[in-house]
Amino acid sequence: MNAPEKYSPLVRWPAKVNEIPKEVFFREDVYQLELENIFYGPEWHPVAHTGELPNKGDFKTINVGERPILVVRGDDGDIRTFYNACAHRGNLLETRVSGNAVEFECPYHRWLFDLRGELRGAPGDDDFSPSYRKEDFGLPAIRSAEFMGLIFVTCSDETPELDEYLGRVKDALAITFNGDGRLKLLGYQKVLYDVNWKAYVDNDGYHAPLLHAAFKLLDWQGGKGEQYSTKNGHIGFESELKVPKDTGFLKDPTLLQFKGTASSKGSAIASTFPITVITKHMDMINIRFAFPRGVGQTEVHYGYYCHEDDDDEMVQHRIRQSSNMLGPTGLVSMEDASIFHRIHVGNHTPGNVTFQKGVKHEDRIWYDFKQNDEAGNLPRWEHYRQSLGFNREEA
Amino acid sequence: MSNLSIEILSALDNAQNGYINSLDTKNMDGWLANYTTDGSYICIAAENEANNLPIALMLDDCYARLQDRVTYVTKVWAGTFEDYQTRHFTQRIGAEAVGNDTYKVITNYHILFTPEQGQTNVLVTGHYQDEIVLGDTALFKSKKAVMDTNVSPRYIVYPV
Repeated sequence: MNAPEKYSPLVRWPAKVNEIPKEVFFREDVYQLELENIFYGPEWHPVAHTGELPNKGDFKTINVGERPILVVRGDDGDIRTFYNACAHRGNLLETRVSGNAVEFECPYHRWLFDLRGELRGAPGDDDFSPSYRKEDFGLPAIRSAEFMGLIFVTCSDETPELDEYLGRVKDALAITFNGDGRLKLLGYQKVLYDVNWKAYVDNDGYHAPLLHAAFKLLDWQGGKGEQYSTKNGHIGFESELKVPKDTGFLKDPTLLQFKGTASSKGSAIASTFPITVITKHMDMINIRFAFPRGVGQTEVHYGYYCHEDDDDEMVQHRIRQSSNMLGPTGLVSMEDASIFHRIHVGNHTPGNVTFQKGVKHEDRIWYDFKQNDEAGNLPRWEHYRQSLGFNREEA
Repeated sequence: MSNLSIEILSALDNAQNGYINSLDTKNMDGWLANYTTDGSYICIAAENEANNLPIALMLDDCYARLQDRVTYVTKVWAGTFEDYQTRHFTQRIGAEAVGNDTYKVITNYHILFTPEQGQTNVLVTGHYQDEIVLGDTALFKSKKAVMDTNVSPRYIVYPV
């Protein structure tokens, strides 16, 4: 895939693989290319988990890039994905973020669609065009696939099958989903960050013990683990579970307890290209659905889940831990949220950002990293560069 | 229209004013002092509240958690975030006695924030569902801040 001539010469991509040009974080023309080549290109994008849509008629709306998507569980129990636009004049069909419906009606001209997306009726169709056929005007479907209940969509027919696409990061995903993906929704935390989407997702293993004071104050040491990347830009972290000791620093140490079963031990992060992060830390199961709101903002929906087999005590524990540890107000993540805006402003300065921690080579990409390396992000940047067709400068 | 006396309504309003003043002056110990020793604080998005989804943005369901909220802001996060000034604007819209000098109070709130660069914007709007005990000092037995702002415009450091 190549960038149009007007883009490529204007982005000077450095020769060293650990340098990224700052201009890609704020240029409107680059953002438009990202929408076409990445968000609407041959990539899979998580849009929902089946645990969010347990009942027939349950639906959810979300964006892929700037395209509105409707995810709905039909009256036959199957989950389908559509562009959230009336098949007639393109009016946004469903405005609610979630709910339960028996049908979807566009208020503009009262075209009515069933839960399988088929057009049930359109007023005045006796006077429609000669070639009009009702069966041709169902909701515009978008290609979808599922892994452990996580529903992906892609705008491209060229995207590889999901199993092949995910590759090794399936291992980390399986850990985050307690091994089987039988999850139930506990709720959301939603936030709009003033940051380009790439800087939002460029968080790394290097910063964690440095930015987040809670780890030091709680004497919370990370367990042994590994980080790996795939050629198509996914990143996986897998590590043994380490629970902070009760140092007396917090008055209520129960918040930091691990109550999971043996099968749910371990911490994992699965970051799928381009923008989704899925984590399992202690007893928190978290999917961060995200999409850009233009070149300078990123909206993130932190979805939290329990497992279908949890007893009431475990559910309550997950609710307490999830509500207080992660997200834009979380004990060990608020600082991430606060750093995003600073990154975005700072990236408007000239030059390149540089990765150093864990960089073994400057002239080629590799795929296995230590847990606290920031170099694990470099294969994703290489996939990004290739997706947009930017040429690397000669060394 | 409340049938409570002017004196009681005034005491309830004073409690609310004391609460928002402690936040607007970034006085976290003062914020804690607004609560009874069995007090609780929950900040939750209206979307979750409406759909019976329990995940909150802040869930301090016991006094120890309230104390830890103070520790978060004053010790854990100190020096790591770009600070901002809040201004809370509130309007009581309902109050009723529930016995034992305790009152359930509903109050709309609107919170503006001004980061260090100086541009002011809306942080969140919503309503409080409070239980206030009027004793020698008016204290919150529980406070739930339900946020209409389901998508908050930034990270939130201080309680709402």
